[in-house]
This record gives sequence, structure tokens and C-alpha cells, in this order.
Amino acid sequence: MATKFLAKALLASVALATLSGAVMAQEFDYGSFPGYTLKVKLIGGTQYEKLYTRIPEWEALTGAKVEIVSSKNHFDLDREIKQDIASGQITWCVGSNHTSFAPQYGDLYIDLAQSIPASELAKYVPGTLQASMVDGRLVQLPRVTDVSNLYYRKDLYEDPAKMEAYKAKFGTDLAPPKTFDEFKQQIIFFADAPNLYGTAFAGKDEGMSGRFMEILRANGGDLFDANWKPTFNSPEGVAALQWFKDIYDAGAVPAGTVNYTWDEIGQAMAAGQLAVDLDWPGFAGFYSDPTASKIADHLGFAVAPVGTSGKRGGWSGSHSFSVTEACDNKPAAVSLAVFLTNDDSELMEAEAGNLPTRSATFDQAVKYFNENGKTALAEMFPIWQASLADARTPPLIPQWIEVSNVLWPQLQAAIVGEKTPQEALDQAAADATTILEDAGILKQ
Amino acid sequence: MTTDVQTLSQPRTKDRVSFFASPRAIPYMLLLPAIVVILSVVLVPLLVSFWTSFTAYNLTKPATLFQFVGLRNYQRLLTNADFWWAFGRTFVFVTITLNLEMLLGLGLALLVNKITWGQRTLRTIMMFPMMFSPILVGFQFKYIFNDSIGLLNNALFDLHIISQPIPWLVDGTLANFSIIFAEIWMSTSVFAILLLAGLMALPKEPLEAARVDGCNPLQVFQHITLPFLMPFVYIAMTIRSLDVARAYDMVKIMTNGGPAGRTELLWTLMTRTGYQNSQMGMANAMGYVSIILSIVFTFYFYRKLVAARTFMGGAQ
Amino acid sequence: MSRLTIEKPWQRWLIRFGVFVAMAILTVPGLWVVLTAFRPNIEVLARPAVWIPQNPTLDNFARLFGLSSAQQGLPVLQYFTNSLVISITSTFVAVVIGMAGGYSFARFSFKGKATLFLAFMLSRTVPGVALSLPLFIIWARLGLIDTSFGMILVYMAVNIPFTIWLTDGFFRQIPVDLSEAAQIDGCTRWQAFWKVEFPLARSGLASAAIFAFLTSWNEYALASQLTRTTASKTMPVGLMDFTAQFTVDWTGMSAMAVLIIIPALVLTFVVQKHLIAGLTFGGVK
Repeated sequence: MATKFLAKALLASVALATLSGAVMAQEFDYGSFPGYTLKVKLIGGTQYEKLYTRIPEWEALTGAKVEIVSSKNHFDLDREIKQDIASGQITWCVGSNHTSFAPQYGDLYIDLAQSIPASELAKYVPGTLQASMVDGRLVQLPRVTDVSNLYYRKDLYEDPAKMEAYKAKFGTDLAPPKTFDEFKQQIIFFADAPNLYGTAFAGKDEGMSGRFMEILRANGGDLFDANWKPTFNSPEGVAALQWFKDIYDAGAVPAGTVNYTWDEIGQAMAAGQLAVDLDWPGFAGFYSDPTASKIADHLGFAVAPVGTSGKRGGWSGSHSFSVTEACDNKPAAVSLAVFLTNDDSELMEAEAGNLPTRSATFDQAVKYFNENGKTALAEMFPIWQASLADARTPPLIPQWIEVSNVLWPQLQAAIVGEKTPQEALDQAAADATTILEDAGILKQ
Repeated sequence: MTTDVQTLSQPRTKDRVSFFASPRAIPYMLLLPAIVVILSVVLVPLLVSFWTSFTAYNLTKPATLFQFVGLRNYQRLLTNADFWWAFGRTFVFVTITLNLEMLLGLGLALLVNKITWGQRTLRTIMMFPMMFSPILVGFQFKYIFNDSIGLLNNALFDLHIISQPIPWLVDGTLANFSIIFAEIWMSTSVFAILLLAGLMALPKEPLEAARVDGCNPLQVFQHITLPFLMPFVYIAMTIRSLDVARAYDMVKIMTNGGPAGRTELLWTLMTRTGYQNSQMGMANAMGYVSIILSIVFTFYFYRKLVAARTFMGGAQ
Repeated sequence: MSRLTIEKPWQRWLIRFGVFVAMAILTVPGLWVVLTAFRPNIEVLARPAVWIPQNPTLDNFARLFGLSSAQQGLPVLQYFTNSLVISITSTFVAVVIGMAGGYSFARFSFKGKATLFLAFMLSRTVPGVALSLPLFIIWARLGLIDTSFGMILVYMAVNIPFTIWLTDGFFRQIPVDLSEAAQIDGCTRWQAFWKVEFPLARSGLASAAIFAFLTSWNEYALASQLTRTTASKTMPVGLMDFTAQFTVDWTGMSAMAVLIIIPALVLTFVVQKHLIAGLTFGGVK
């Protein structure tokens, strides 16, 4: 009822806006909320806060004020939102969200498809928008997308001695890997510990679970079947885990990698310690910055390899904005969420090296990079954009993080050799089954 | 206030003196503010979480707060091997770190006490690690112990001691060593400064008397210095045994219990269960089982403290 | 202070060497953080290692304060003020309340004393996670979330038990006769306390205050839950602003760490003086 009314109100205001002038034509109407104070909870950190410099523009446009009631990194924000739910203190309207976290929050957030015209939603990258749905509801508007692809060192791949040695050994030309088998082969080929490793992978927390999921899916397997029965202890799963174990046993990755998360991998790559890195778009700016990275001058980009099924794993996720059900002025909240993901905002995100969520922004960004001498980023964008077609999120169920928390310690145990991959995955599958049964998702 | 105390210390002539106005009330009145603060900030929340340990409380589903499941959380814990491993590991971690910190702190205090010049600067330097937030200590040692670009391995490489990196935070023994080292680095100063304060408050007469009687320095230390220091040792031990959970911030950053649960402590396990997995009921059940551990440590040191204080005098 | 033992020169050098080694171990890991604050990222986590800074820089501080165009600064001054207000207030109140309690335990015999003393100790055995959520819910109901007052209250509770035990110990060391003598001379118990016992216990109070201050100044776990914005976020919570989803800006974090460490260091150094004054006064007896 209320949403219908709001939708009507919004439509009415869209109509008004259309009347108000050609400048606003085809533009979303941001409405007018003079004197209203909108409380928002936003992801903090230097990488994300640049966008918030646009908030005053929205304030000028709508007459509303924005009060940032919280600004933290996402893991702390997640905990804080759970605390708010627990204490029934949803006193804010717009919250930063993430596709991996969104399913946990139940009906905290509204279905945005009810309040944003389809013409506006059509401007977002379709796959990214699809991944923002939970149970058929659009609970978030994507702001930047993450999908992993390859960064590699051109100086190594174009080194004649290396090229010759590789050709002699494997009979093929040295080029960025097309399959995970080839990837493994090159990782081991390049490794020259302790000064150079083939690669490094996120070895703990959701990073480990996600990397495993990626290869599992590329091999044609998946975490769960259609009835949410865990199936990752399948032969495809064992093969995926074996992939990590092989490069670990070969000493081709730093031994510490099972304790690494993204920042250590990024630091190692930037320090020139790794030959290839399967990683997020956010690192492009860092790796190509000569004051922060040793590999800035010879950074190459390539799409992620495919698995034995010929598919990409395409592990992907998006940062996003959501509007709470408890919000006292949903039109204002929706207006801000749209504003912070509109073409201008997305261009700002893209210029900082993040993958935008609006289709139109990609070309604009590449143009900007070329004009501003950021050739590396101009080169990287089309590659990452190409891989978005294969992008897949982790399972969008509230228990994903919990399942991940029983999965990654078992993956670690197999990688460091405490268990065989089959034993480890069977154990994790048994634990995951208990979790999903307890949650009532998997029927016994 | 002044007049209050004055009148309180005078014997009253009235027949019925209310308890709060009687001299007997003085110690309670002095303690009242402390009691009020502790009750409101610790006890009340504690009762709430005690209740949740008997429910299927899920953080994101407020209604589950009233879903009573009896002892189910506790029953599950009893058969949960991961929990008992973490329990045992925490016990060992606390035992090792506290004892080493005490010994090293004592050594440090004795050494610094011997130096006559620059005492003030020296003591400030001695307390340097106390300026570091546990979370900062976590990041700091995460990078120091990083196997590929960390400070420690870099130093060992450049000194040609090793040719292959040592995976400090991965190998089971080394990872536990690393978190213990970080904890000791962070907290030894607490012991050192407390014991140094004790040493400086040491009365000089018995020491001189003992020397005149021909005791050697070791005997003086054993029979005079050490007994005098013992209450300080136990105060420090008690405080640290309670405070040691601060190591959570640090371990969370350094290893988060990994790899493969090799450094999993109760605190990392509980927080992950409660906040990441949202199973607050279960996490609080773990909390209450782990309180047993703290009570054992605290009670032990408390008994020692009381015994040592009897030696020192004062009201019982 | 008179030296009781006269060391031989080789012993003195041995002691000095021992002190040097101990101090090196205590300071090097920390100094490395300080050094990191003045270096560009490319030199910090490198292999082969760059030991001597090649390009010392103030860039990290510039970024921190938003003086660099590369990124937005952080509200460091606001965090700093919050930290200062919260730490100083909670320390002062905790020391006053704790001193009253410690005095009570040291000087009076009363019913339930042992139980009460133990209860204070046990109040700190509660694991943070069991406390943090209920505390949050109650604080939310009382409107204390994201307020300095809420944090002050929590830190008082954290520091009071500890101050009680510490001051209890120090008061016990002061002979009861001194206060009794003063009371015979016509002082009230109140006056005797301030004129005789308090000055003698000052060293104890100084160290209790340092501990309480440093605990509050550096506390992260509770502050990260109960603070949310610049209205109450403290410096250690601000450190986490340098962590994004994928990256940790270690050089920026180190720069902020320096800003956390310096005031604590200065304060500790200043209070040392009072510690010494108290101790020498105590030594006169």
C-alpha cells in the first residue's frame, strides 16, 4: 500500500520534473525535501569517501540535509547493522550494503524496484542489477562492482629468456593463462622463491571460500544443488582444492599465503614479489601508481582463466546503497541512493579506478583515462567489463557467511596438509548441512 | 563532605542511628560509587547475555531472543571439539604469556632499578609498548612476521641466516609463538612498571640490616625483596589474567585463529560465532563456559594476593 | 637514593648492556611503525628490504589531514579531541572512585569485604563478546550510543576495579600509625587522609592513573562497537578508517599511530615526575 502510494508520488514528481525543463529530461527526479534531515550509514575508508563529496550537491538539489550517523569499513558496518536490528534501533534511512552481506538482513531494506522507474533502472549494468536482488527484491542499488581478473608482470611475460624456456618446456608460447591448469603451470614455472612467487591467494576468511568457489564453478561444480544441499565435496570440488594444494606444495606461492587477505597480496604484488595476481579491479590504481608500486611500468591485464568446464568462475560482488523499511521519508532516501549511483557519481567512481555499475560510464571512463595519461586503467577497463558477463555472486542466502566460516578452515587444513582434500571437504559439507538444516533452508 | 565525615566519626547520642549515618557505613559509602558503576556497566548486561545463552538468539532475528532452548547450546558445546581445542589453547596461551611476562617484567624492573642515570627517560622507554593500542600491535606484528615482505624475514635474509622465508604465521608452532611474542611484547611493560614501583617503595632498613648481617645479594633478594614484591606480583598477575582478553584485537588481526584453527583462541571463536555467524546465543554460552577459566585464574591469584597481604599487614 | 650494592665495573657494564638489549627489544618493533609513517609505501613492504629511508616524506601526514589532493583527509582532530576528553575524564573519575574504594578495603574491616573484593575482580573476567551486545542494546535504549558520556561510563567500569586493587595495595604500605598520630594531633580522619595518607599514596595513584589513561586511550574492542561517528569515535577506532575491503593503508595507519603514541608518551613522561616525587616522599618514612 505504502509503496504503491510512494510510487505514485514519485511518478507525479517525475512528471513535474519533466515539465520543469529540458535539462532534466530523461533524468531521474530527485524531488524536493526542504528541511528534512536524512540519516545515512555509509561505508568509510579513504577509497569510498571521495564519492561523499557529492552529497552537498544533492543537498543543494533537494533542500534536504544529510547526517552521516556512521562511517566504518564494511565488516564493522555489518556488525553495527546487526546490532541495530538486535536492539530495534533502525533510526536511519540509507545504508551502504554489499551483495555478499545483503541476504543476511532479511526485510530490513525495501524493494527499490517499487520506487524507481524501470527507465532509470535500465541504465545499470543488467547482470550487476540482477545480482543485487535477494528473493526477487531489489534490496540495493549497486555502486561499484568487483570481479576478479588477472594482473601480470609484462617484464616477466615478455622476457625472451623466460619465453624460450617456457616454450622449450611446455611447447606453447608464454602468454597470460587461459585455463586454470595453464595458470597453475605458469605459477610454478615463474616461482623463484624467496624473491619471486608465481602468485598468492587469499587464504583465510571469505576470501579463501570465494577463491575456492570460483574454481569449483569454473570446473562445472557448485557449492549447493537446487535444494541447498552442499555439493562442494564433489570431484570438481576436490580438483579445485587440489589446485591450491599443488601450487602451495610446489612452493610457488608464499608459505604465508594461507594467512593472507587482500592487502598482503596487494602489497606483495606491488613489491614485485608475484608474477601474476588474480584480483579485484580496485588494485589497478594502486599497482599502476609509481610512488606505491614497483611494477607500475610493466603491468598487464587479462581476463580470468576458465576451468575444466570451459567456464569462468566469475566471483563477483557489488558495493551498494539500500533504503530501510523503517525510514520515515523513503522518497528522500531513494533519491539519495539514486543520486550516489547516477551517471556523474559513477564516473567519479570510475575515474578513481573502480568498476562502475552503469553501462554508459565505461566508455566515458576509458576516454577520461586516455585523456589524463592513465593508460594502464584505460587498458584494464574493457577487460574487466568483458568478464562481467560471466560474473556470479556467492549464494544469496543469509547463511553464506556462516557456511564460509566452516569452509575456509577446512580448505586451509587441506592446503597445509593436515587432511586430504576429500576429508576436508566432507567435513565442511557436513557442517554446512547442519547450518542449513538448522536454518530450515535444507529439509532433512 | 568534610563535615559529614567529621560528624560520622563522632559517637552519636541518638538512640536510633540509621545505618547509613553510622560509622559502620563508611566503608560501604566509600565503595558505593564503584559498586554502582560496575553494576550498571557490567552486571546488568551480563544478566542479559546469561539469558541469551539459553536461547537460540540470532542477531538478525530479534524474535529469537525469546526462543528458549534450555541447555541446548551448552550441550552442543560439550561435544564441540573445536571449542575445547580453543579452550585448551587459550589456557596454555594465558599460562605461558602470564608467566613469561612476569619473569621478564621482574628482570626488567630489577635491571632498570640498578641504573641511576636517566631513570625517568628509561622508565618512559620501558613503558613504550603500552602506548600501542592492541589493534595497532596486531597490524604491526602482522607485517613484521609477514613471510615474504616482513621485517623479520627481511632482516634474517640480509644477515644471511636464512635462504628460504620462514612462514611465521602459518606453521603451527611458529604461529603460536608469534602471537605469544606479540602479546608478551605488548604487556611485559605492565609487569615491569608495577614491579618497579614495588621495588622503589621497598623499605631500606631491612635491606641494610640484612647486608650488615652478612647476607649475600641473592639471599637479600630471596628473603626480603621478593616477599615484599609478591603482592605486587599478584596484583599484576590478577590484573593481567583478566586483561589478557585484550589480546583478542591483536590475534584477530594477526591470524584470526588460522590457519586451519591452529591459533584459534576462545575470543576469536566466540566473536566469529556471535557476530559473523549471528549466533549470539551460542557465543554467549561459550562465554559462560570460558568464564570458568577466568574464575580459576583469578581465584588462584586472589588467594595468593590475600596470603601475601597478610604478610604485609593492613586491615583484613 | 642511596645505592645499597656497590657493583664492580664489569657488573655495571653487564647491567647496562642488559638494559640496552631489553630496551632495544621493547622499542624496535614500535619504532619501525614510527619510521613507516615517514616513508612512501614503495619502501615499506619491500623485498629486498629498504632499511634506511631513501625518500623520507611527510606525505602520509598530509594525506591524513587532507592536505593532499589524492584523497580526502580524516577528521583526525575530532577523533583526537574525543579520545582526549573520554580518556582524561574517565581516568580522573575512575581514580577518584577507585581511590575511595581502595582506601575502604585497605583501612576498614567490614562485612562481606572479601566477597566484594572478589566480585570487583571477577567483574573483569567477563569476555568482551558476552558484554558488548547487551551493553550495546542497553546503551541504545538510554541514548548513549555514539556519545562521549557513554564511552566514559564504560571506561570507568573498566578501570575502577583495577584502580581499587592498586590503591588498596599502596594504602596498605602506609603505616596506620601515621594517620592515627595525625588524628591524635587533632586532625579529623578526613584531614588526616589528605595531609598524611594521600601524599604518601600519590605514587600509587599516579601509576593507577597512567594505567587507566593508557587503557582508555588505546581501547579498541568496546569503542568500535559503541562509537559510530565523529561525535565519539576515538583514535584507535579511527585507525580502522585505513582499512578498506581489500586494502590496508599501512603507511597512513602508521602516521595516525604516531599521533596516538606521541601524546601518550609525553603524558607518561610527565607523570613519571610525579611518580618519582611520590616515591621519594614515601621513602622518607
